[in-house]
Amino acid sequence: MIVDATVAGRTARVEVTGGEGGRYRVTVDGRALTVDQSRVGAHERSLLVDGRSHDVSLSLQDDRCTVVLEGRAFEVLLGDAAVGDAGVVRARATGPVRLLAPMPGKLVRLLVAADQEVAAGQGLLVMEAMKMENELKAPRAGRVREIHVAERQAVETGALLLVLE
Amino acid sequence: MNAPAPAARAFRKVLVANRGEIAVRVIRACRDLGIASVAVYSEADREALHVRRADEAYPIGPAPSRESYLRIDRILEAAARAGADAVHPGYGFLAENADFARACEEAGLAFIGPRSETITLMGEKTSARRLAVEAGVPVVPGTLEPVAGVAAIAAEAARVGYPLMLKAAAGGGGKGMRLVKDASELEAATERARSEAQNAFGDDRVYLERAILKARHIEIQVLADHHGNAVHLFERECSIQRRHQKIVEESPSPFVTPELRARMGALAVALVQRIGYRNAGTLEFLVDQDRNPYFLEMNTRIQVEHPVTEMVTGTDLVGLQIRIAQGEPLPFAQGDLRQSGHAIECRVYAEDPDRGFLPSPGLLAVFRGPGGPGIRDDAGVYQGFTVPVHYDSLLSKLVAHGATRDDAIRRMRRALAEYTVLGIHTTLPFLDRVLRHEAFAAGEVDTGFVDRVFATPDDADERAWEIAVTAAAIERLEQRRRTRLAPPEAERGSAWTRAGWRERAGGRL
Repeated sequence: MIVDATVAGRTARVEVTGGEGGRYRVTVDGRALTVDQSRVGAHERSLLVDGRSHDVSLSLQDDRCTVVLEGRAFEVLLGDAAVGDAGVVRARATGPVRLLAPMPGKLVRLLVAADQEVAAGQGLLVMEAMKMENELKAPRAGRVREIHVAERQAVETGALLLVLE
Repeated sequence: MNAPAPAARAFRKVLVANRGEIAVRVIRACRDLGIASVAVYSEADREALHVRRADEAYPIGPAPSRESYLRIDRILEAAARAGADAVHPGYGFLAENADFARACEEAGLAFIGPRSETITLMGEKTSARRLAVEAGVPVVPGTLEPVAGVAAIAAEAARVGYPLMLKAAAGGGGKGMRLVKDASELEAATERARSEAQNAFGDDRVYLERAILKARHIEIQVLADHHGNAVHLFERECSIQRRHQKIVEESPSPFVTPELRARMGALAVALVQRIGYRNAGTLEFLVDQDRNPYFLEMNTRIQVEHPVTEMVTGTDLVGLQIRIAQGEPLPFAQGDLRQSGHAIECRVYAEDPDRGFLPSPGLLAVFRGPGGPGIRDDAGVYQGFTVPVHYDSLLSKLVAHGATRDDAIRRMRRALAEYTVLGIHTTLPFLDRVLRHEAFAAGEVDTGFVDRVFATPDDADERAWEIAVTAAAIERLEQRRRTRLAPPEAERGSAWTRAGWRERAGGRL
């Protein structure tokens, strides 16, 4: 299996073969690693890589994998190199953007109105959760097509807040 | 000292009027003393750790604090139902609410803290400042009476001078504060400060203080019994803060000399005895670059960062709170107390430091704290628990103790690396950056430190990056090879906590 793995804007091509007895051969951008991997918990893995021990926790959902090791968290985005995900990424960048609530909370303030043009990074609304107010910003420039919430409304995670086009 | 000391009575049962890690802490202290513990919980906290650990537990209402943990009537009902004879308020919630203390007293429950009159006296911040001045304790120059109205505030600002701090007179704990750098900022700052104060405390009066730049936030722990004995348990350095929320604390302070320590300790005890203070409390000071201390305010409760003092003095402050409330005299005198070694505390919050500390509630798929020598982890959550959205985001307090400050730092870094949390974002990676920063190692911290940590680029660990993509790729391969059932609850729960925003194109891809 070959995937493109992207972390914080940096992409590597990762090839994985093997798997019998937890032993894999992995290359990361051509660099070869011998990996002995053991599942030590539902989300926990022990990796021995060329003699070095790495204690890892991870959670893979669709193409996103959160990996925690050595007290640091990495968000790894996986794309099938063979299937050519680049086209998919391009489509995402230009299609309408459905902005969902990242956490449950209350909508405190709307900062924009329908049909308003916004710049990338511009504040769109303010949500309150865990006794703190957080301004949520536009991921890219565009026009506010639809607003689906009202001020003082309580929302669940994943609730549709706004559509940007 | 006015009221006579009550006769000593051993408590059989203590109700903990709080939640999270401090409730667990109090329950542990009760157990150590052979006292039964009673927990109260909101509908969001039925499975919380404090409920699981207590001897008894009673529901007190729906999730919002206003309908549960702040409901004096429901808490007193639970106390009556359980037959509790004392109440420990923890910190936050009703801990510094004089009405609650008085209601407990009137219900025949011992309130584990100072008298309600004392809470009132020190709760209004200008009253506390005036008392400090009377006790000979230097205060930050500024107003000694609350100020109401835009015109009066402007007049005081001109007198106090710039830069200045606008603070809520009925406030505390860093809430409702505003830095005003010069006169041009005063009008906007006044409007916001007054409205914040009104919303948070129901009182829009403020007071003004000169802002001391590059100051250290250093506080003194005190204990006083009901027999007129009072001691200080030295200082805690709390300068590493973000938006007035403490992140890292330590004791001793690398900045405090033996002379300054003795002076601040003596001032603290003088104020405590002057007002007839009882039980545990903390006096907060700002110390300028010339090591001049200025009293800020007094917290009439146990503090979040109390473990740091416990580790260096070898005391159990919460246990002592209970024993003092039972009428026991302090088991030591000032001369018996020593600071031994060095302790550092890191607060682990459910927040994403890479996205402006966005709160990150959700299911803890993995939550494994560290262990080993010199490590203490006061966690209020556990693996499998869903961190609720209704309360503050403190998950645990991680404390490291060592013979020297360098030993404590090394231990803390080890403990941070061992700490594994998956399912939500936490401030653990940020804490590691703080501990690694050369200014921290040199003990050069002040209240502007956190911004400097962010300004310092984080050195990406090449090997860790490589392992992360390797582990992710192997997981993808293994998942494809396994027969796919519905994703386990843990993975479904973690999906939305990962990114600030989720983008989806118009159709399924």
